[in-house]
Amino acid sequence: MNLQEFKDKLFQLGEEHGFTDMELYYEREEKFVCELFKGEIDSYDTSEVFGTSFRGLYKGKMGYAFTEKLDEESLSYLIENAKENSKFIEDEVQEEIFAGSEKYGEGNFYSADLAEVTIPEKINLLKEIEKHIYSYDERVTGTDYFMLSSGETEKAILNSKGLNLSEKVNHVGIYVSVIVKQGDQVKNGVYSKFTRDFSILNPKEIAKHAVEEALSQLYAQSAESKNYPVLLRNDAASALLQTFIPVFSAEITQKGQSALKGKTGESIAVPLLTIIDDPFLEEGLLSSNFDSEGAATVRKDIVKDGRLVTLMHNRKTAQKDGVESTGNAYKASYKGALTVAPTNLHVVPSDQSYDALVSSISEGIIITELSGLHSGANTVSGDFSIAANGYYVKDGKVQNAVNQMTIAGNFYELLNNIEAIGSDLEFSMGFMAIGYIGSPSLLIRELAVTVE
Amino acid sequence: MLSQSIINDVITAALDTGGDFAEVFVEDRFTNNLALQGGKIESSLSGRDFGIGIRVFKGLQSVYAYTTDGSREGLLKAAGNAAQAIRGEKIIQPAQLQREIIPAAHPISLNPREVEKLRKVDVMKKAYEIAKNYHNSIQQVTVRYFDEEQNVLIANSEGKFVEDRRVRSRLAIQSIAAEGNKMQPGSYGPGAHKGFEFMENLNLEHYANEASRIAVTMLGADPCPSGKFPVIIDNEFGGVIFHEACGHGLEATFVAKENSVFANRIGEKVASDVVTYVDDGTLSNEWGSITIDDEGEKARKNVLIENGILKGYLIDKLGGRRMGMESTGSGRRQSYRFAPTSRMTNTYIANGKSTPAEIISNTEHGIYTKYMGGGQVNPTTGDYNFAVMEAYLVKDGKIGKPLKGATLIGNGPKTLQLVDMVANNLDHGAGMCGSQSGSIPVNVGQPMIRVSEMTVGGTKGGK
Repeated sequence: MNLQEFKDKLFQLGEEHGFTDMELYYEREEKFVCELFKGEIDSYDTSEVFGTSFRGLYKGKMGYAFTEKLDEESLSYLIENAKENSKFIEDEVQEEIFAGSEKYGEGNFYSADLAEVTIPEKINLLKEIEKHIYSYDERVTGTDYFMLSSGETEKAILNSKGLNLSEKVNHVGIYVSVIVKQGDQVKNGVYSKFTRDFSILNPKEIAKHAVEEALSQLYAQSAESKNYPVLLRNDAASALLQTFIPVFSAEITQKGQSALKGKTGESIAVPLLTIIDDPFLEEGLLSSNFDSEGAATVRKDIVKDGRLVTLMHNRKTAQKDGVESTGNAYKASYKGALTVAPTNLHVVPSDQSYDALVSSISEGIIITELSGLHSGANTVSGDFSIAANGYYVKDGKVQNAVNQMTIAGNFYELLNNIEAIGSDLEFSMGFMAIGYIGSPSLLIRELAVTVE
Repeated sequence: MLSQSIINDVITAALDTGGDFAEVFVEDRFTNNLALQGGKIESSLSGRDFGIGIRVFKGLQSVYAYTTDGSREGLLKAAGNAAQAIRGEKIIQPAQLQREIIPAAHPISLNPREVEKLRKVDVMKKAYEIAKNYHNSIQQVTVRYFDEEQNVLIANSEGKFVEDRRVRSRLAIQSIAAEGNKMQPGSYGPGAHKGFEFMENLNLEHYANEASRIAVTMLGADPCPSGKFPVIIDNEFGGVIFHEACGHGLEATFVAKENSVFANRIGEKVASDVVTYVDDGTLSNEWGSITIDDEGEKARKNVLIENGILKGYLIDKLGGRRMGMESTGSGRRQSYRFAPTSRMTNTYIANGKSTPAEIISNTEHGIYTKYMGGGQVNPTTGDYNFAVMEAYLVKDGKIGKPLKGATLIGNGPKTLQLVDMVANNLDHGAGMCGSQSGSIPVNVGQPMIRVSEMTVGGTKGGK
């Protein structure tokens, strides 16, 4: 069955079952992922998948169900399950099927040039990068993860109130993790980059980044466990921000799981800090003209000069708080329920370079990598104690890599302890991440550092 | 799900360009996810996943294509896309498919698809009431319910043609205790390879009370000190430490390319004498159990480390090719969207000879971790970290005051050598494990153990 036919039959069946307003959300994705290992193609995945989700109001309550198969069995499966699911929903404010915003942005997040890049060209890029990786330094022994991923996603929202929105986006990404060995020391260094512009992926630069990162971790030494000024390098800063970004969601504050509840308009951070959610960012991985319930997206300050300007809202959370939606309705995929998430969200950079920040530290620690963020951070209390890698700094100069560490502190306090912000804005895609989150390097007055 | 003749044509097409092995994985999965917050059902989602994964090998080269298009045309297109990556002449004809009936090793008595959702909601509400009423500082309770029926068909060019139905159920309770500005969570998430009978027989009192007790206890806890301490890790989910410190490093994914610290070390002493480490997918109806893996191989019990000596690895078909070894029934994947790779099932440290009481009374000054949170490992370096949900100070052989915010960091191979006591109270806990082939259900398990020295990163800072 094709989509149009499926939708018509579905809405008709829904109406017969007593649904008043109905929506069909649709996603289609084509992907290519390739891994290279020592000159050989180690894995090569191509895919073409679609899925649809049905959302409908039954006796004033919203029921959901999804399917990846457009057949007769799925029609009745969707309607029956959505109906049964709606019966238990007890929230006083209900979701609605949205007729649409007055106007939408006209951003184009699909690169026709990127779509023209062939699979052999992509594989060739990997081979070029690999050549540079092995020739860069003789201590390189291999890669433990080295891949290119490219994809094209089309999404559409069709509803019984006449809304009919669709959008197509594409991207390509490189992820490299290089292993270096020196004596019995083994370290790895990671570099990743997502873009819509294939031509900016420079093999030599990518290889250099990853290998230098790995080499810089060699000869790690212990350091005294104590409180240090900490420079969170851009990638580590964005990973930490990524972990705590849910506290800026109205859905989370309404559940009482964020200390930012009721803080809109108040100062929550140092005046240096401004955070923007920008759905129209040209190179943004999550750029879009409409959100997952069909509302127009908007570029806005979340934090401006340290003051919380707004939380992120969808239409339901906005109604609960008596404000307007900020266009942050989000579904992880057609399988999920409507929730709240950022688009491309970042800390606004200043004019101080990373090197200038390093030279301002008399004694401190630079954090280059955080791991275990999904378990070591408590987004409810803001407390974190996270494994980290990085360097020891003395008199404004990097002295050496440090053995595995943990850094501990509290996110809400950290916002008030930012001493300086770098100019080096970088985005990262984290593990199980929501949102495409970026930050320049952040100098933090003090964090508890424990060294192995 | 798909007819034998279509599958045969797809395998044949996949081998057109010189592949020496082809496999088709068909999945039709029904899931229910319900969430209850503040006593009210907040979301109730039902869905059907359907898709097909086609894999072709040529030597060590592996190609994977997947699609949701189950039509003959769609499948042949996907097979063609996969075959395109291999350039050569056809070298083998697939063997004739032989349907093999494998009896379900983990019988299900009540398929959740046939259970009214209202009964599921009732279980959630009961758990909510118990957790909420545990203490007046419990501010918020979230209960999540999950069930799935995953139907798979696996066929390959060696003539394999098997089907399997996996039914799983899980309940997760999270309590948040609050006082002034302080908030602390506590959680528990039991699960099994069972149907709704699991929920009916679940000891809700125990799990819901424990979730709240952890939150309330941690609310009154001191910040954990930092430094190096002997660490006692309690049984059940405590086993997550070895899952991270050693389990991932024994997967062919990392061993085959010699990226793991455990590569080429079979027969060597990699752990202290008291450590025996096992992965067993056959444990009856456990959360991480399987009848067959996602390459159609029967689940088995694999002894990985015996009395400190490395005995074996977790191997999938592709890893096996690279290593020149046979599959150990360890090829797993989240769904048709992932090519399978070597993964754990139910992995645990076997019982030792000490008792929990002996371990505690033999520890002069250390940290006791009752419940662990999640963790992560870098299999290349062996460095791992994980969060502690509930910890206590141990002083003069007694468990003392509660501690919050502890993170344990270390290096897998080193930690294995430092395990100096293993108790006799083995138990298992359910978790989700994320790696290259996606997120899959696994159990981690162990009796109480002691590590003579671990680095503890606490919010209190040094000394």
